[in-house]
This record gives sequence, structure tokens and C-alpha cells, in this order.
Amino acid sequence: MPTASSTAFAPTRSVGDALLNRNRFRILGLTPDDIIKYFFNGNAIVAVVVLALITIFLFREGVGFFGKSQRDLRLYRLAGLEYVDFIRHEVDEHTAMTRDLNAARLAEFQKLTAEGKTPEQVTAALASFDAFANAFGDSIEDVRGTLSDLSDVAIATKTKARVNEDREEQRDMLLSAGKKEEADKIEIAPVNFAAETGVMKGTLPAFRKVNDQFADKLGAALQSSPHVADPKFQAKIDAVHAKARALIASLPQIEKNMENWNYDAPVPASKAVTSFLFGREWLTASFWQDWYGIVPLFVGSLLVSIIALAIAVPLGISAAIYVSEIAGPREKGIVKPYIEFISAIPSVVLGFFGIAVLGTALRWLSQTPALSWFPGFPMSERLNALTAGCLLALISIPTIFSLAEDALNNVPKHFKEASYALGANRFQTIVRVLVPASLSGIISAVLLGFGRVIGETMIVLLCAGNRIAIPDFTQGLGAFFQPVHTMTGIIAQEMGEVVKGGIHYRALFMVGVVLFTLSLVINYVAQRIVHRYRISIG
Amino acid sequence: MKLPDTAPMPHAALAPPEESSTMIEVENLDFYYGQARALHEINISIPANKVTAFIGPSGCGKSTLLRCFNRMNDLVDIARIGKGRVRIHGIDIYDPDVDVISLRRQVGMVFQKSNPFPKSIYENITYGLEIQGISDRKRLDEVVEKSLRGAALWDEVKDRLHTSGLGLSGGQQQRLCIARAIAVEPSIILMDEPCSALDPIATSKVEELIQQLKGKYTIVIVTHNMQQAGRCSDNTAFFYLGKLIEFAKTEKIFTNPSQRQTEDYITGRFG
Repeated sequence: MPTASSTAFAPTRSVGDALLNRNRFRILGLTPDDIIKYFFNGNAIVAVVVLALITIFLFREGVGFFGKSQRDLRLYRLAGLEYVDFIRHEVDEHTAMTRDLNAARLAEFQKLTAEGKTPEQVTAALASFDAFANAFGDSIEDVRGTLSDLSDVAIATKTKARVNEDREEQRDMLLSAGKKEEADKIEIAPVNFAAETGVMKGTLPAFRKVNDQFADKLGAALQSSPHVADPKFQAKIDAVHAKARALIASLPQIEKNMENWNYDAPVPASKAVTSFLFGREWLTASFWQDWYGIVPLFVGSLLVSIIALAIAVPLGISAAIYVSEIAGPREKGIVKPYIEFISAIPSVVLGFFGIAVLGTALRWLSQTPALSWFPGFPMSERLNALTAGCLLALISIPTIFSLAEDALNNVPKHFKEASYALGANRFQTIVRVLVPASLSGIISAVLLGFGRVIGETMIVLLCAGNRIAIPDFTQGLGAFFQPVHTMTGIIAQEMGEVVKGGIHYRALFMVGVVLFTLSLVINYVAQRIVHRYRISIG
Repeated sequence: MKLPDTAPMPHAALAPPEESSTMIEVENLDFYYGQARALHEINISIPANKVTAFIGPSGCGKSTLLRCFNRMNDLVDIARIGKGRVRIHGIDIYDPDVDVISLRRQVGMVFQKSNPFPKSIYENITYGLEIQGISDRKRLDEVVEKSLRGAALWDEVKDRLHTSGLGLSGGQQQRLCIARAIAVEPSIILMDEPCSALDPIATSKVEELIQQLKGKYTIVIVTHNMQQAGRCSDNTAFFYLGKLIEFAKTEKIFTNPSQRQTEDYITGRFG
């Protein structure tokens, strides 16, 4: 075979050798091409693997929250805290009404003082109201007493259960360390939840009586309510009346709920999920019961983002239109780098500026009498959603500006020419042709700006006021001037002080998971929109 | 190859050799892009309601001159007029008192690359009217039909007026652009190589259309296609290196040009 074929292919052999090029330079059997390929390949793989590990870690730590939360909620029920909270809820409603009355009195007091009355005259004028308010406030005292007694019982039971949990954990550790004798020394006296809660439920007939008395007293107080001259004041009193009557009407239902309550009713796993996703309270290190509801944080994040976008979108897009369509080369050379420079400012510096300057300035502005007609003015807090929103706007303007400008520049030049050739002026060309043609690019710019804002941590931590509560939306626009806490802020603030692996730690990871998912969705949607835009422009 | 001296000819010599009112009159026009001189002392009188073709090799200034007629060169930062005048209907269009917006409504333009807006066919046609503030639906409907019929496109698109203009074929898109231009009822239509991106069938449709339009509009068409100039124009101007070499009736240019350069170009000896 060799002889036959070698002679047959002799003339082509040398050319073939050259094509095969066996003498190429190699390191460890790899050609330079291979090395370059594997280098970039390796980098990409490292990036992907690291990202995947982070995601897996985030989810693993976070998902553990639900198991812990379910156990926590189970204990809440077993120890009778849930039972006591029926009463607590009743008391809280009453307290809120008392607060309303006090606020109404204060407003009236200020009004009368402003009319030039002396404090004595004002006190005299409000005497009948004060009598009513006192009677109203005192009516709940006995219920409050019951609440206090039962709280002590419930919390004692819960503490016992907790101590047992700790001991069990300790014993398990000793056992796993092989110290069986020491482990056996640890005594665990199981808590008899049935007996403990039985005692609490035994007080129900007494509580019914207390409740009846409360209803009578409250009814009597309402009867004694004075008629006041000022219609605004009267309206506030009437509102409290309506709420109080609703509360009285709900008492039998509360008692019924208490009667039907069973300490041993199972807590479904879904309860842990819903209490996280729809829980309206984020309450930690509480003597009573910790709640991990994401709603106040989510709403807080959303609120500051809305403020930020409301400022940044018009500014960023207008600046993009200006730079891409109106500015001359020299103006472009100044404006563009300056806007992009904003993103070089560390967010902690902006946050510091927010505390030191912007918050004070905004509050000063809100206190100007000329602006008092504005809902929510004057602001009660220096650091609030608006302060944070303004600074977040600054952070997101470069993102929105750059992407929107790219989108505008990508509109083919011939659209612009066609518009001008038909006799359109510059404004018409921008509004009717350029912006619609680049709309998807602009929308994705806004979305990515939103992603930038919702993930920002330092500014909101420093400037948003960090009050964990859902803003009071009954105040309309005033809701924007209330302090809020955010998802990013809470993680940064609390992660340092939690016990690793504890329920609080895992709750923070779940917040992280929600943030991660949100960012992922925003980015995905933005990319899809840009993709469609590229196709349609072709 | 050394070209013979081409000193600008007297103005009268460049008037079309036929009795017809003049629509566009260019007088001693010099035009610059930055320092580069793109047009040298152009003198030309373009007759009304005729098709005038501008031919010449790439970079000879024919498109630049065309874009002077509706001041599209204003959009180019470095472009400027050196000296000379452009008169349309006897009015100097570079006079500071002239409203560019009104001028562009009088002088429509069709571009080399068909450029319908990314809007529906209907909206493409009505755009020029809507920016004038006309929003009467009935009137717009009429104009859309009239313009599309005028551009010989009505029968092909009447059932899908509200679909995107970008969904049409290349030739249809170019006729849509013509329809869009005539919707605002200009007196002049400038066409900058309107068929260079079209296949022969689409090209012949556009050429037919030009023949139909020439009674109503003054058409100036820039083309690289000599046959096209021969087929559809009444007069032809030959440009070379920013100068107008010869302007005459089309059959004269193609059969008996008076300048050597014109003959060389037409017979394919250069360019």
C-alpha cells in the first residue's frame, strides 16, 4: 500500500504537507489559537459558575426561611399568643381611635389659639370634649388589664418552649460530639400546651363580662359626646363614632373567634409563605412575636423608585433628546460627559449630601407658608421617601440618559430627513418620528433605570428615614413625604446583627431573593423590548 | 485624462431650448462643505412641469445641487452657500425671510433609500398634513386615496392601509414615499436616485409613475442610470467635478452632445 499510493500521490504530497502544517508552534500540545480559545472560554465559565453558585446559595439560604417561619407560627399558636392577639387587636383599634381624638383636639386647640383665645378660654371651650375623650379612653381599661394578664401567661409558655428548644439543640450538639453522659444531664420538661392554653381559655367567661362592660362604657361615652361648632372638628369626632360603633358591633364576633380558637390547629406551610409575601408587618427582636412581612419594605422600595423615576425619566430623556437632536457638537461635548460623570459619584457621598443638605433644604421648603396648600406639607421628617427618591433620581439619570441617547442615535437618519423634507419642524420631527421610532429603546432605558434604582442601597439606607411601616396612603400625595424602609436597606442594616442560620437571617435572604427576582424580571423584559426593537428597525 | 477648459457658459445658453416657464433658477451658485468646494458657479434654469435629469459620475455635485432646492443641506453642519442664488417661483429661497417649512412643503423630496416611517401606510401619507395641523378625518381619507392613486399604489394597498409601511416591498415603499411627497401638494418633486435600490420591474413602475406625474409637477431626478435619464426625462444636465457641463434636451444630449466630456461620459469612456 505505501509504495502504490506514495507514487500515485507523489506530486501532491508537498502541497499536502504544507496544508497540514505539522510544525506549528505548540505549548503542552496546544496551538496559540487553542490557548486563546480556552482562555476566554475559561473566563466565561468561571463567571457563569460563580453566578450560578451565588444564585443557588441565595435561594438555599432563603428557602429555609419558610420551614423556620412555619415552626415559629406553630409556636405562636401553641403558646396561645394568637389567642391573646384577639384581645390585643381590639385594644389596638381602640387606641387608634383615642389617638384620632387627641389629634383632632390638638388641631382644634391650635385653631382656637390662632383665633386669639387665651389657653384658659381654650381649655374651657374644650372642657365637654375632654370629658368625653377621657371617658372614651378609660372605657377600655379592664380589657387592657385582661390583655396584660393573659400576655404574661402566653409569653411565659413561649419562653418555656424556647428554653426547651435551646436545650434540645445543646443536647444534640453534645450527642454529636459523643458526650452522651453530659447530654443525658440536660433535662427537658416538655411544655403542656393544652394545660397552659386551657387556663387562658378558662378566663373567657370572665372576659365576656369585661367586654360587655367595655361595650356599655364605650356606648355611654359616645352618648355623652358633645356637639361642637366647628364642622371640621365635628366631622373628625363623627368618624371616631362610626369606628367605635363598628368595634362594639364586632365584639361578639371576637368572642366567638376566641371560643373557636384551638391551640392545636395545624399551621399549613402556605401560611408561612403568605405571611411573608403579604405580611404587613416587619417586626424583629420583639418580646412578643416576630413578624417577617415583606409588604412594608416592598412598598417602601417601590415608593422611592416611583419618586426617583418620576424625576429621572423626564430629565434623562429630555437630556438625551437635547444631546442627540438639538445640541451642537460643542454643547454635546460638555453636556454628555457631565451627565455621565454623575454615575462616578459614590452613592455614599450622595447619601451624605442627602442627609446634610437635601433633607434639610426640602423640609425648609415644605415649611414655607406659601406652599402649605400642598398635600403633606409641611413634612414631619427630614429624611423621607422624597429625599431618597431625589437622590436616586440622580443615580439613575446617567443610565436612562445614555441608553435613551443610544436609542435615539440608532434611529436611521433617513427617517429624520423624510420628516424634514415634508415640512416638519424640529419639534414635530422629534415628537412624531424620532421618539416613536426609538420608543422601545427608551422604554428599556427607563426599565434599566428602574432596576438601577431598586437595587441601590446606600442612599436609601441613609436618606429614606428607615421607618418600617406601610406609608399612610390615605394622605394622598403626603404618602411620599413619609419615612420608609426598603428591601435593600433592611438587608444592609440588619444582616450584620443576626444569628447565622436563624429565622431572621433567612428572612433577610428571602428579601434578597425577592430583590433578585425583581431585578431579573426587569432586565429580562428590558432585553426583550430592545430585541424586538432591533428586529423592527432591521 | 486632461479635460478641456470648462469655463461657465453664459446664462442664456443654459436655458432649456424650448418655450416654457422657468420653475427653478440657479444663478452663479457656489457651494462648500467646510473648505471643500462642491459646486462651481452653477447656472441653470429648470422648466416647469417637465422632468429634468441630473447625470454625472459620483461626487460631481448633482445630489448637492438637488438638496439646495429644498434646503436639505441646512441639516448638514458644515455645508454653506458661497455665493449665488437659487430662485423658485422667482423668490430667492436663501433669503432670510423665507420660511424653510413652507419651502419644503412646496418642494417635496424622494430619497435614494425608500424611507417610509415605521408607521402605517395611512399615517405615512397623512404625516405631512398632520404636522400642518390638519386633522379632519374626511379630508385625510380623501388625500390618502388621491395620493395613493397618484402614486399608482392604491389598488395594491387599499385593503391594508393600516398595516405598517415597512411591510411593503421595496418598489412599493418607494412609491409610498412618492405618495407621501405628493400628499402635501408640492409644485416640485426632487428625486435623489429613486430607483437605485430597486429591481428592474419596480424601476419601470416608478418610471411610469414619473411620466404620469410630470404634467402636474416639476420633477428633478438625479440618476446614475443613463437609460433611465434617456427614458423618462425631457431635459438632461450633465455635471462633472462640481461644474455643470451641459444642459439640453435629452435627445440632444444623448445623440449629439455639444461637449466632449458629455460625449465621453455618455459613451462610457469614463465615469
